[in-house]
Amino acid sequence: MSRPAAANRIEVVAADRPVREVNEELRAAVADGREVVVRDTRSRHNLGVGLPAAARVRFEGSVGYYCGGLNDGARIEIERNAGWGVGEAMAEGEIVVGGYAGMAAGASMRGGVLHIRGDAGPRCGVAMKGGDIIVEGRIGYLSGFMAHAGRLIALGGAGEACADSLWGGEVWLAGPAESLGVDARIEEPEAEEVAAVEALLAGRGLGDSTRDWRKVVSEQRLWHFESRDAKAWLMI
Amino acid sequence: MCGIAGRILRAPGPVGRDLVELMDAQVHRGADSTGFALYGPPREQGFIVRAVGMDRAALGRDLDDFLGILRDHGSDFLEDPTFDSADTPHVSVRMVVGEFRDLARWSRDADGISERLEVQSVGRSLEVVKDVGTSSEVADKHGVRDFVGTHGLGHARLATESSVSPTASHPFWARPFPDVAIVHNGQITNYYLWRNRLERRGYRFMTENDSELIAVWISDRMRHGMAKSAALGQSVREIDGVFTYLIADERSIGFAKDRWAIKPLVAMGEAPEIAVATEEQAVRRIYREEGAVTNYDGPAETRTWLASRAEAAPAVEAAA
Repeated sequence: MSRPAAANRIEVVAADRPVREVNEELRAAVADGREVVVRDTRSRHNLGVGLPAAARVRFEGSVGYYCGGLNDGARIEIERNAGWGVGEAMAEGEIVVGGYAGMAAGASMRGGVLHIRGDAGPRCGVAMKGGDIIVEGRIGYLSGFMAHAGRLIALGGAGEACADSLWGGEVWLAGPAESLGVDARIEEPEAEEVAAVEALLAGRGLGDSTRDWRKVVSEQRLWHFESRDAKAWLMI
Repeated sequence: MCGIAGRILRAPGPVGRDLVELMDAQVHRGADSTGFALYGPPREQGFIVRAVGMDRAALGRDLDDFLGILRDHGSDFLEDPTFDSADTPHVSVRMVVGEFRDLARWSRDADGISERLEVQSVGRSLEVVKDVGTSSEVADKHGVRDFVGTHGLGHARLATESSVSPTASHPFWARPFPDVAIVHNGQITNYYLWRNRLERRGYRFMTENDSELIAVWISDRMRHGMAKSAALGQSVREIDGVFTYLIADERSIGFAKDRWAIKPLVAMGEAPEIAVATEEQAVRRIYREEGAVTNYDGPAETRTWLASRAEAAPAVEAAA
């Protein structure tokens, strides 16, 4: 099912084949030092999970759930949309999504860069513990929920309950948030912090020194939760 | 975890085949039971009744009793009932019956023998086919792929909170309203609160399945004269839990999803032709090529699509 393309590139077809078989072929090609293009992806789940550092993989079309999950340093490109949990628990590496990323993009990620060219669905960056998520569009409802560390950067602003129950880490917004979640507050960023974020964006061709940044951080009241304060958290 | 799907065709066509494909692509979301709400060409007179008999050996006696109740309410069989010929103890029955003097009263009396023969749908157009097993097993047994119609719903069930049986499967008919059915993916967490309330209002629950609550709740709203699109919006505020459900009638398919935006719904196609499902890879079984996909991912979203039998009007956005 695979055939040589350019000199060092190999094509793998997903179609309706068992995903395990597709992924094994993908890993074998990577072990062989090949770049891989996966064709006819049909929005299927679990493509390219657990890829090693040397991998260079491009998915043509849209993928389903958990694409690039557990990434350990691979560079992964998804031409169109990704389903739930793209890049979930990524340790390092880079994942670029050309279109929309579904719910919980970059959930629990620890390092690396997840770059989404379109919008992201609800709970983008949920429980993230490191790394950077860059969303050129807007992040959905409850994005950054319970994140511990890392930066979630959204150029198009955020939906409701942004950074709800944020534990640590930062949500950077260059557009408006529909509302902030509980225990989140907006802080004026330091000049060098802005410079660092802009440098990261410039490195990806997204430099723009005119942005009006808002940095959302934890208010840290939930760090010392007491049941008698429970009412303060009942926002529904 | 369950999987749901809806399909609207531009004109009457192989809607059964499409729904079987949509559910086959989601078989990993639940294979305990599979069900379909299929909308065929509507009858001008009479109704199609779909039912499950619990004891194949006693079907003759149970149908006699059922017929007696029909006649008590001014109806009768218009055709001989047909049924599947599998070797399971339960048996699916399809009946075509005449008009009722009062459908709601008949339905209540017919439910009096539901422990022997349970009505699963009544409609001018709607036929609910549901059984234990996977999409392809249920499709093979009941000839679902051959069903010609305009639109319909599908459901694959992973039973989490109540038993596996043909009657506890989806779709659920919003008795006694002809042609109204729902399928649901999720959990209803204020189930007992609403069940107790609705039982005090005289509604009867046939199962312990929390999804049935949505059908009964919708019936109650309809009885109070509420439009289905408005009921969708109200359900998001009053029904608690994580859910996306689809509701269909002879003219439309609508959906509502919870305030936490937990359960997904994906759509492809151009109105009036559309396929919706829990997972994008399912609608890609219908629309294989890359194309515009709409993710209904936000909190408390609702929407209604008109089926093609209704006038060719644009999709109607319901108030959330």
